[in-house]
Amino acid sequence: MALPITLERVSYRYAPNTTPALSDINMVLQSGTCCVILGPTGSGKSTLLHLLAGVLAKHYPESVGEGVLTIGEHRYTPFPEGILFPTVALALQDHYVQISGIRDTTRKEIELTLETLGRDPLRERASIDRLLQQLGIAHLAERKPTALSGGETQRVALATILIANPEIVLLDEPATALDYGAQSRLKLLLQSLRGTSSVVFTDTRIDLPLDVADRFIVLHAGRIQFDGNRRGFLEQLPDLGDLLPVQDWQEAIHEVKGRQDSPLRQRILRAAGLP
Amino acid sequence: MKLSEQFTKETSGAAIPFIAFCIALNLTAGQITSALKIPIYLDSIGTVLTAVLVGPLAAATAGAFSNLLASAMGSPTMAFFAPVSIVIGLFTGFLAQRGWFKRWYTVVLGGALQGVIAAICSAPISAYLFSGVMMAGTDFLVLYFRSVGNSIMESVFYQGLASDPVDKIITYLIAFILIRNLPQRLTGKFAGASNIPSRSV
Amino acid sequence: MVPDLRPKLAFVLLLSVCAFVLSWQVLTLLIALVLLLPFVLPTYHPASPRARRLFLRFVLFSVALSGAIITLNGWMIQSGEPVDTILGITLYSGGLLFGIQTASRLVLLSFSVLLFFTSTPIPVCINALQQSGLSRTVVLMLLLTLHFLDTLPERIDRIFVAQEARGAPVRAGFVSRTKAFFSILSPLLLSSMAESVDRGVALELRGFLLETAPSFHTLPPAKPPSPVTVLLLTASVLIVVFSLARWLFP
Repeated sequence: MALPITLERVSYRYAPNTTPALSDINMVLQSGTCCVILGPTGSGKSTLLHLLAGVLAKHYPESVGEGVLTIGEHRYTPFPEGILFPTVALALQDHYVQISGIRDTTRKEIELTLETLGRDPLRERASIDRLLQQLGIAHLAERKPTALSGGETQRVALATILIANPEIVLLDEPATALDYGAQSRLKLLLQSLRGTSSVVFTDTRIDLPLDVADRFIVLHAGRIQFDGNRRGFLEQLPDLGDLLPVQDWQEAIHEVKGRQDSPLRQRILRAAGLP
Repeated sequence: MKLSEQFTKETSGAAIPFIAFCIALNLTAGQITSALKIPIYLDSIGTVLTAVLVGPLAAATAGAFSNLLASAMGSPTMAFFAPVSIVIGLFTGFLAQRGWFKRWYTVVLGGALQGVIAAICSAPISAYLFSGVMMAGTDFLVLYFRSVGNSIMESVFYQGLASDPVDKIITYLIAFILIRNLPQRLTGKFAGASNIPSRSV
Repeated sequence: MVPDLRPKLAFVLLLSVCAFVLSWQVLTLLIALVLLLPFVLPTYHPASPRARRLFLRFVLFSVALSGAIITLNGWMIQSGEPVDTILGITLYSGGLLFGIQTASRLVLLSFSVLLFFTSTPIPVCINALQQSGLSRTVVLMLLLTLHFLDTLPERIDRIFVAQEARGAPVRAGFVSRTKAFFSILSPLLLSSMAESVDRGVALELRGFLLETAPSFHTLPPAKPPSPVTVLLLTASVLIVVFSLARWLFP
């Protein structure tokens, strides 16, 4: 089941007396939502995901935070002390490091997660097969997981965390460094997660988010610059030009106003949630 | 504190993959030096790095497994010298915790001490187990000491004294130079962060 | 299924004990036995073509080495009768005998250790260690070591090429090459540490190293040792006791 996430007045510094990586973040994410965190490099996107996954308190013992984080029924003031897996699963930006390197086939790599959780991989063969199918990597099941391409590695890395049925899935810049084909498969995957898990992912570009996300949050220097749905986001585009590569979309919207029946117009209007 | 607790304390998070890297480095550093034609072996560089950045028990473990793996990979006699690697790991970790890896002259002194200790530890093994034959260039040195009238044990020990301190001083200095150039955001993740000179990045 | 490695280990132990207490004539017989075993018993078949090459190469190396050890000892340890003079080098019987004893011991020790490792893939050893109670953390570390051993040479190559392309003097004089050495080792260490940090986080993010993490459930508990193991261990102990007794009460 998907879980809701609430952040109230959350601020975070990696060390005392440094500029805050996050300041005064307030947000409520309904369960089953697909939320994108947008913003330039260094805006605090990754920090926010690491905070939700429970990485920060443990790995940055000098860091200081305030506020309240609520995940499902649990209230953390300010953050969880340890990793919240398997409730919350985070896929890192560098998916190569998520392949353990200690198993020689993709299937065994996925089984490793189950073993860690004390579950018997033999009993869950069917669900592993289903997941492999869903991610389009059934043909990689017997291949060596450390010798795959970037897009393949990413999907295997995702499989290793999705097999635990996390209620919240966090993905750090999943679209970066993927070619066009891999991006469209990622889009399908994100769409298929909708409803079963709450999804939060980060991106520096807006193409993929406009296809899959139903909630848009823009961060700048650790502060929320924008928070709203797709339509509100598209209306705000002109003001976000300094933070995001929105030029193409703006021009397209501008250009399409004159034309009546072009497919581009329809796509853009659909994306914008307009009739 | 119990040993197992101490070990768990040293090996949190990033340390496990790092120790694994160091064991692999012990076994492959020779590849770099031979490609560059530098006549040093550095087969304990990984153990020393682990000792300084992680801790003595982790380094002892790394040293022992380096020797076992070296045995498995074609130098069968290395397994018998695992105790020497364990002592190297423990002693280097002990020095590092007392701040010996913060200044270059204590590093040199530590390397020399370590060399003497390594010679003392390996002499009985190579004398009693192998009669001083190590299948290395240093065998000639042992034979020389024997031919001038020393016992096997003495000859092996003199040979060790002649070559180990130099080798260990070089290893220590290389480790020191490497560690000094590491950014704090990385070293801060390891239990031995306070063992090394602090440096603002 | 994890194979029981204890009979093999007990056999290596027995051979090692023999190597220290028996005379070179017996040792030579045992060496011949060890050389035959990979052909006779399936348990001792080389695990891979690479292992077979490794074993053969080591056998050849040992022949050359034994020759060198025997000759050098015969020449430099001038005890006993002069036996022969070859190319102006006089060989003495005492030194020769010592050389033969040393060489046969060294060769038997090496062969028995190598016999174990060439017939047992390292991952199988690690599984067996895990089954006998080695901590999960150490098992994980060893498996990661294999991963690094797999990838490190390639990474070193890449950095080597990159440094050479940047003009690092990898082929110049000794001092420059030493500098080049740091320009290779330093990025290697830096990138590996950064990767270690990320890998540590990634492993935790999959539930490893958590205090609550249960142990692996895939391995059945170890069975009691087989009769072969017990027999081999008893033989080793008997040989040790016997030779101690002979040494104490000649």
